[in-house]
Amino acid sequence: MTPNLHKALSEISKSVDYLQTTIKVNNTCIHFSYFNSLISHEQFHHDLLSYIHISECEINSINDLKALIPNEAIKVSSTIEEISQSLAQGSVFIQLEPHLNEGLLIDIAELKLGHRGYNDTENEFSVIGPKVGFVENLNTNLTILRRGLGTPKLIFEEHIIGSVSKTKIVIAYMDGITNPQYVNTVRQRLVDLDFDVVFESSLLEQLITDHSNSPFPLFLHSERLDRIMYSLLNGEVAILCDGSPVVITGPANIFNFIISPEDYYLPWILGSFFRLIRYFGIVFSTLATSYYVAILTFHYTIIPRDLLGPIIESRVNVPFPPLLEVLFLEIVVELLREAGARLPSKVSQTLGIVGGIILGQAAVQAGLTSNILLIIVSLSALASFTTPTFKLSNTIRFLRFPLIVLASCWGGLGIMIGIMFILGHLLRLKSLGAPYLVPLFPFRFKSLRDNIIRLSYSFSSDRTLFNRPISKKRYTLQKNKDIEDDYNNE
Amino acid sequence: MQKAVKENHTISGYFVFFLISVSQTAAAIFNFQCLVAGEAGHDAWISILLMGLSLHLIVWMIYKMLGHPAKDVIDVNRSIFGTWLGNVISLLLVGYYFIMALFFLRAYIEIIHVWVFPALKTWAIAGLMILMIYYFVSGGFRVVAGVSFFFMLTIPLLFLFYIPFQQGDFHRIMPVLNHSLLDLLKGAGISSYIFFGIECLLIYFPFLKQPDKNRKWAHFALLYTTIKYVVIILVTVMYFSQGLLQHTLWPTLAMTKIIELSFIARFEFLYIFMWVLVIIPTVCIPIWCCTRIIKRVTTLKPRLSLPIVLIVLFIIALMFKERTEISALEKFANVMGLWFNFAYIPLLFLITIIFLRPKPKLS
Repeated sequence: MTPNLHKALSEISKSVDYLQTTIKVNNTCIHFSYFNSLISHEQFHHDLLSYIHISECEINSINDLKALIPNEAIKVSSTIEEISQSLAQGSVFIQLEPHLNEGLLIDIAELKLGHRGYNDTENEFSVIGPKVGFVENLNTNLTILRRGLGTPKLIFEEHIIGSVSKTKIVIAYMDGITNPQYVNTVRQRLVDLDFDVVFESSLLEQLITDHSNSPFPLFLHSERLDRIMYSLLNGEVAILCDGSPVVITGPANIFNFIISPEDYYLPWILGSFFRLIRYFGIVFSTLATSYYVAILTFHYTIIPRDLLGPIIESRVNVPFPPLLEVLFLEIVVELLREAGARLPSKVSQTLGIVGGIILGQAAVQAGLTSNILLIIVSLSALASFTTPTFKLSNTIRFLRFPLIVLASCWGGLGIMIGIMFILGHLLRLKSLGAPYLVPLFPFRFKSLRDNIIRLSYSFSSDRTLFNRPISKKRYTLQKNKDIEDDYNNE
Repeated sequence: MQKAVKENHTISGYFVFFLISVSQTAAAIFNFQCLVAGEAGHDAWISILLMGLSLHLIVWMIYKMLGHPAKDVIDVNRSIFGTWLGNVISLLLVGYYFIMALFFLRAYIEIIHVWVFPALKTWAIAGLMILMIYYFVSGGFRVVAGVSFFFMLTIPLLFLFYIPFQQGDFHRIMPVLNHSLLDLLKGAGISSYIFFGIECLLIYFPFLKQPDKNRKWAHFALLYTTIKYVVIILVTVMYFSQGLLQHTLWPTLAMTKIIELSFIARFEFLYIFMWVLVIIPTVCIPIWCCTRIIKRVTTLKPRLSLPIVLIVLFIIALMFKERTEISALEKFANVMGLWFNFAYIPLLFLITIIFLRPKPKLS
């Protein structure tokens, strides 16, 4: 054993789960070093030790030993870095007595323990559609993705990120569909990255994003298998990260976040209708309360006389200006949401009732807020939850507050200025170098029918063209001849 | 000759439609009627039609002059007047675009003062607007073009003119052609400021992809503007009597005042606020043109020249206090625009066509 290798291994041996055992087979001493907590004991005994014990022939060199063991993840190594790194990831290091300066590394890491077996996509629920989601185990994720798409065109490309954790990151894309420009961008950004421990793929997203100072998510993220498959088919790049059930895909545009996979499982008329409802929900939830502030502070003449009565009546006992009233209620709703997200699910239901009904009713009776505002605030909270992706709905809730403040300063002018700032921000955003507001700007008429609304499958046979896929057709249209034509058969 | 604009900075050729039609919408839509009708009476719509149609010729000239290969007016100036004098003339254009931007911005601030917030300080509104303009223009030409696309959201508001139209009296536009040709031409001349915006094409022309193929969109934009203004002035003339029209400062807003739905009254507020969507790109485009010229003629980078231009804009916008001053600015801008469109551009065009014919291609 060279002194360096010896020193490195003895440094590790401070750890209590680090074991070194020696067995003697046919007069040869064999040393095993491994982390007891990482390896699969079943594999260790059945697939490793048993083969060595039953061997008849002499074991004279490392290569003799290598030939003996039927394992494909096996290699001969003598570098300290490689050995200590592999040990920390669940390999066994085997040395033969006279040749101590090199050894065999066999990967028998335990992959099942400490991982969820399944994930039922609770956070992105849809009534129809597969409920299979990604889990924390990268191999499982790759398996279900490969099985779902079932084509050798799906390419997985592995990178190791994280100076401490050495986390495996996989870039997935469809060869012959995805524009190589995007794959290169992602690869380049990942390779240039220096970070210690990658906990989550959403963390990775913030590190490789185009604009880190933006409240808007620039990568689509999902736990749902069908959603990621759909993105891949449309020429996007997916990034999977070991230890995270969330897969991120890019380039994304803002309309991707409003699409729910369920739109595609319902008849297209219903799918489009519900999608339009979501657009309305987003606009309503961003603007409703700021309009309330603007109208009641400055422009009460904009309300027709018949409607002005009830509004004034409900506000007559409220001692605060509209801004304070709205901020008070909005913050109460945010507190309820935040508390509901942190509490166990059984408690949070109770909290919803206590917070929503009792607090609201009491606040009105105590004269702290008006009835009408209570309706508006709870409606806009409700509307913000219609967004199918968690990150965009967070953004929408955040955008309300600057708009409310602007509305209380300059009324309708303030709201418009806020909207223009948001618009300008969206126009400047890019995801993997692709514009964020596409297909609106740059305007792509053909893409409107599948990205803004969802038209029938007989119209959406093309891939998302603004992603510049290499092959543009998804499927060929054919007339269905089996349908009986009642009119002609009469 | 400048290097060709990088491909990722260019925009699709048909975007010229939005760029032109948004600048021609501006705040002038609120008050152009009384000026034109002051000269041409109830035949004002003919004046506007004349003006709109004659500008098609100018657009044709611009496309003819700047195409093959795509260049901007700075190159044309240089090749006609020589590098030194050409640069001086190009720098004078900065002043022209600057006054255009100033006029658009100040006219809108005045409307906000008169109709919505009489007590709000000018510097507050101007400061907010200029901050926004900085944010857009510093994003580059694509962002400016992008924001001008979203003025489409205000187009549905035009259909609301149906309500004052119902109240109008058709006989007020009769008899047609009751005014002399001179009156009509005077009216056309005074209406030139509502067509401001095609001049910016001189600067952003190289940023358009396949300009020749999309030339029709520039004409469509002009046609759209002409039809829009003709319709509005017809509705106005039918709605107001000539005497009342002379004493109404913002006839468009006064007409929208009568619209009332079950959940919203005082529609003019909606108009005024939605018009931020129009005003911002209208001011952004000339300001961008200013920085572009400065960048091409001197070595000053837009990062430096943009704040300077905007600060000057802010200070000068604050100097206008009374209606008479703004109206003088309006008249000045109008005369200047008229000369620019009907003297400067045709002059350049004629010189380019006659003296600078494309020579047989060298290798």
